[in-house]
Amino acid sequence: MSAKKKDFVLCLVFGLLLAGGFLLCLFLPKAKYSESERRMLSPRPKFSAQGVWSGRFMSDFESYAVDTFPFRDFLRGIKAVTALHVFLRQDNNGIYAEEGFLASMEYPMNEASLSHAARRFGYIREKYLTGENRIYLSVIPDKNCFLAEKSGHLSMNYRDFEKKMADLADFAEYISISDLLERDDYYKTDTHWRQEKITDVAERLALAMGTEVSEDYELCEMEQDFYGVYYGQAALPFAPERLKFLTEEAIRGCQVYDWQNQKQIPVYNTSVFDESGSDGKKAAVRDPYELFLSGSLSLITIKNPNARTDKRLVMFRDSFGSSIAPLLISGYAQIDLVDIRYIHPDHLGQFIDFEGCDVLFLYSSLVLNHSDTLK
Amino acid sequence: MLFSSISFLYYFLPLTIGLYFAVPRGFKNTVLLLASLVFYGWGEPKYVILMALSVLLGYGFGLLVEKYRQKSAGRILCVASVGVSLSFLLYFKYADFFIENFNAVTGMGILPLRLALPIGISFYTFQIISYTVDVYRGEAAQRKLISLAVYIAMFPQLIAGPIVRYHDIAKQLERRGHSLSGAACGIRRFVIGLAKKILIANQLGELCGVFRTSGEKSVLFYWMYAVSFALHIYFDFSGYSDMAIGLGRMFGFSFPENFNYPYISASITEFWRRWHISLGSWFRDYVYIPMGGNRKGVGRQLINILVVWMLTGFWHGAAWNFLLWGLLFAALLTLEKLWLLKKLEKSRFFSHIYTLFFVVISFVIFNAENLEQAFSDIAGLFGAGGIPLACAEAVYYLKSFGLLLLAGGIGATPALRVLVSKISENPAGSRALNLIEPAVLALLFVVMTAYLADGSFNPFLYFRF
Repeated sequence: MSAKKKDFVLCLVFGLLLAGGFLLCLFLPKAKYSESERRMLSPRPKFSAQGVWSGRFMSDFESYAVDTFPFRDFLRGIKAVTALHVFLRQDNNGIYAEEGFLASMEYPMNEASLSHAARRFGYIREKYLTGENRIYLSVIPDKNCFLAEKSGHLSMNYRDFEKKMADLADFAEYISISDLLERDDYYKTDTHWRQEKITDVAERLALAMGTEVSEDYELCEMEQDFYGVYYGQAALPFAPERLKFLTEEAIRGCQVYDWQNQKQIPVYNTSVFDESGSDGKKAAVRDPYELFLSGSLSLITIKNPNARTDKRLVMFRDSFGSSIAPLLISGYAQIDLVDIRYIHPDHLGQFIDFEGCDVLFLYSSLVLNHSDTLK
Repeated sequence: MLFSSISFLYYFLPLTIGLYFAVPRGFKNTVLLLASLVFYGWGEPKYVILMALSVLLGYGFGLLVEKYRQKSAGRILCVASVGVSLSFLLYFKYADFFIENFNAVTGMGILPLRLALPIGISFYTFQIISYTVDVYRGEAAQRKLISLAVYIAMFPQLIAGPIVRYHDIAKQLERRGHSLSGAACGIRRFVIGLAKKILIANQLGELCGVFRTSGEKSVLFYWMYAVSFALHIYFDFSGYSDMAIGLGRMFGFSFPENFNYPYISASITEFWRRWHISLGSWFRDYVYIPMGGNRKGVGRQLINILVVWMLTGFWHGAAWNFLLWGLLFAALLTLEKLWLLKKLEKSRFFSHIYTLFFVVISFVIFNAENLEQAFSDIAGLFGAGGIPLACAEAVYYLKSFGLLLLAGGIGATPALRVLVSKISENPAGSRALNLIEPAVLALLFVVMTAYLADGSFNPFLYFRF
């Protein structure tokens, strides 16, 4: 090709890229929600003189232009592949792929955050608990703990993390579960553990708290594809998985009450993939892990009418607790699940009778290391 | 508005180019001016007024200076014009620095003004000064307000240079040609600049950010930070200059070069002939030479060097670390001028090491939040405070950014340019290059769009100045 032809082709290609991009930006229908990132996209800002003068119109337009850029998910994939395979970056936006799993580099240990969490737990103990309550604490390691050492990514020293947390909340008996967990106990593209893989964890917790739980479960599987939260963040090509859940007689007989929305809910919200599920939310907006006890609710009570005990448990938990709570219910007459990210502990007295109950603080290291959301 | 943004690349630029080439020749400057006002107002709607006022004052002073330049009034008007331009700069950029230091010395409690810095004020102020001084020196004043406004406010170089001198583009403001080869050259330069910014500078900026927030420091990490920042600022700023020059070419202008592989320099003197060339030559022509340059003896020359480099440091920011940065270069340039330059000529290898060492150290000072952090960072480079030689975080990020650092190091030399030039000497190689160049540039453009669509780290460093 001659230099003149090259110049012509270059101008033509660049012109087509710019003009094509411009026309697509203008005329291609815009999504309002990013399913891969599980977030609302920035809307087109309304034009006003005040908005322009303050600069808000322009900053909103910048967000809108990026969020609604044509084929954005595809382009994010190109970026991720370029970063990891061309520049040999070890992670993309803090997420990395190792042995078919996606994980987030949770690092370093944030001691101030652990102290904050322990202070919030201590506040609950001071306000509601007496010597009659047996108090337990357990920390769920994040997936990074099992992948990082091998892959050379950064991870916290989990033993130090457990010890630090146990020391800070020394009013609680610490139950270690980390030796029961491994990489395969987590979903490949999600932060969460797989319920069908944690029956041993439930047994250890129950045993330590002086009760027994069922050992026989029926395994059920959702038919729809499940892409976890890391899938969207990493923007890497990963195969979907299937959500699985366990059930048995006690679980089937349970009654679950959602205090936040003041209604009965199922233990397993199998409508989680439906276009408009039982909670009225559109499928695309919902985290499929909400299958377990409908996800992030501030306060839930699970009653087990067939229980052979009158023991009650109050579990302070995050989303990991939603999937393990059904496995503990056979050992209790009632479990109250509290998420103090969404309800202030001062309000709990109206709903929960703490007298004589067991109390378990069960949190993932992900939440404890970023505990500023705990009220 | 950033060049490296979706809104610029896919909204502003296609519209501006489309309009520019659609209108008749007589309206092209008007289109450029309107586009430039939108470009500037996009980030600073309120300061468009300040810029417009500066342009009007520059226009008025230019005409008056031309009219009276043969008389003493011309000199007074020229000084007044420079004074007015500098007063805007002093007020918006330096007022708080002086207030805070005045308070510190006197114990008084004058409240700082906390003004937002008008983007690009340091650049367009220097262009206005260049215009009125050039007119005073004999250049014809611009009679068309729109043409002068285009010179001062043209969006490619408005915000971060290169600092274009009036006489360099005075003729192009009135009559300039547009050709396919010029446009292709501009596109090539723009895409390469964008790649420097998005693919290298931004990623190295991330590493600098990681270092700053890390609680785990080591000697290795300090050096990684220092080298990364030196490469980051080079690729960020030279990338911006490439984009500005490329855009200028698309619109028929020839802007001066601003960088010439500064990291291959064998002395600080050479480094400053290759780094931010338009600023260096501006200070040479409008400060150093008018002060006497090297014409009034060695003592006076050294004082002139000191003044110029203090001002250069201060131009970059209203903080003591920028002054220290300027003074470091003043000291090194003085040493070189007095005896070091001859010694450096004896060993090319040593002279490179010496230059890179001081350049890296200088940028550690430059990027510090304050003097305390500057000294602490420099101490960290030498292991002060008992920090370990390496830490897990440093080793991880060295692995993660190793290739990028290597690519940056190679990209900062003319190696690639030499390679391309060697290949194109051969007719077959030249044909092959012609064939793949548009494809490579298009691919780069798509990949860069992907980085922008992912919404990663993106600020331009020189917007601070």
